[in-house]
Amino acid sequence: MSVSSKLLRCYVYGVFCLMTLPLLVVVGVSVNPSARFEISLSSFSLHWFEQFFGRAEYVRALFAVSLPVACLAAILATTVGTLAAIALVRFEFRGRALVESVFMLPVLVPSILLGAALYLLFARLNLAGSFSLLVIGHTLIGVPFVIRVVSAGLTGVNPALEEAVVNLGCTRVLAFWKVVMPLLRSSIASGVIFAFILSFSDVNISLFLTGPNTNTLPLQIFSEIQWQGDPTIAAASTVQILVVTTLIVLAGRLSRKRLVY
Amino acid sequence: MSTSSPRKLPSWLWLVAPYLALLVVFLALPLANVLVLSFHRYSPVSIWEPTLTVENYGQIFTPYLSAITLRTFRIGLITTGLCVLLGYPVAYYLARCSKRAMTIGMFIILLPLMVSAVVGSFGWIVILGRSGLANNALAALGLSARIDILYSESAVVLALVHFLLPLMVLPLTASIEKISVRMEEAATVLGAGPVTMFRLVIVPLSRAGLISGVLLCFSIAISVVVISALLGGRRGRLIGNEIYDQVITAANWPFASSLAIVLVLSIIIAMSLALTLGRRKVA
Repeated sequence: MSVSSKLLRCYVYGVFCLMTLPLLVVVGVSVNPSARFEISLSSFSLHWFEQFFGRAEYVRALFAVSLPVACLAAILATTVGTLAAIALVRFEFRGRALVESVFMLPVLVPSILLGAALYLLFARLNLAGSFSLLVIGHTLIGVPFVIRVVSAGLTGVNPALEEAVVNLGCTRVLAFWKVVMPLLRSSIASGVIFAFILSFSDVNISLFLTGPNTNTLPLQIFSEIQWQGDPTIAAASTVQILVVTTLIVLAGRLSRKRLVY
Repeated sequence: MSTSSPRKLPSWLWLVAPYLALLVVFLALPLANVLVLSFHRYSPVSIWEPTLTVENYGQIFTPYLSAITLRTFRIGLITTGLCVLLGYPVAYYLARCSKRAMTIGMFIILLPLMVSAVVGSFGWIVILGRSGLANNALAALGLSARIDILYSESAVVLALVHFLLPLMVLPLTASIEKISVRMEEAATVLGAGPVTMFRLVIVPLSRAGLISGVLLCFSIAISVVVISALLGGRRGRLIGNEIYDQVITAANWPFASSLAIVLVLSIIIAMSLALTLGRRKVA
């Protein structure tokens, strides 16, 4: 048994290496001083990061589009999703199972179809390429995730707590706000963080819904790769990796509960 | 326990109303629009004209497009198969290792999915390119062998497996965690080797996780755009690329819509197939 578990461990570590290799390569290229896509072990330079922060299209993509869109989408998705989760967990009504599965639809519909479908309808209204449609598209992919996380958190809160406060003369809404919300803090926080990540790293919806002024960072990287740009691409990708990694670590810190997706 | 009473009925409706509104306006309506568009005739002047037709669906059977469709399903199946083979041992390890090792392992496995397909694809381009890292490493070792798979189906499959493995590992790990270690011990005491134990205990009992992993992997793999656009070249174009080009470049919305409908239908068929197959094995 010990031989096989050693073998298993080697195999798993091999897979881990393969999973991280491309991302490590990207980071390596971003700190290499030459203009070629290579990793130099002897020299180190932040030249490509200077280039990244010096180029208007990258700076705009990160600070004027990707970050604000992800923030708005995360806040909207969390608000909408939390309300829906409360309804699903705290109320019993006919057809709840059906409503629950309908609510998971944005996960089942591939995001490229969602993007294409939104474009085909809203391009007629000249809304394709608008900031708000991009935010809504990203909100949609975040909500099912928020519902999962918040429902899981809410199931763990005993309804007797609210009942007690209501019996003491508090309104139901206020009881929920004062008693349950603080207990849900970590679930809601991980909902916000992952809705943010889903928006920040999305390409499929952005592919259809961004216009000349609303290029997101992943999409900017995508077009630079197609135009065979310089290692600034690697610096931009590293920024993307850093933002997402930081957020995942933060989410892990906030909730010790394991992620269920 | 239950807080419902006849008077509470409207309040849950208020709570779900914002999300329901979003779903109707920004999911149901656009999808219905795609379905309707797919039955309209394309017009170079006004994009579509109000004549009903099924010729958009007929175009899918032209040699060019049927090749792309077949390639899409082939790549989807190969990717899903590879994810199962690679993912099962990893999921088993994660489900049975210490809590700390699991946190770190999950982080590593999730990263490619979370960071965006664009970044992973870029990494693979740097590794696999003609004078990329893999070939430089081979040359440095004094080997004359070259890796020349960039801009081919193999490169797309490689990047897809890298991107989608998390979606296989997550549900599998969740299922395997629920299997009692006692079952494994029982099998081992009765003389089963590790491989037999895995085949007869772990695989049958984690079927639910396997099915959802397979569905997630397959449906995302056949609807991918970015990975095949960056790594597939001309030889690796998929339905997703065709949809994108028809919508944005060619502005042939009716045809793009019919392709989208075909994609949705394939996913629905795959789902019902996987679910019935899964159920039959239980019986």
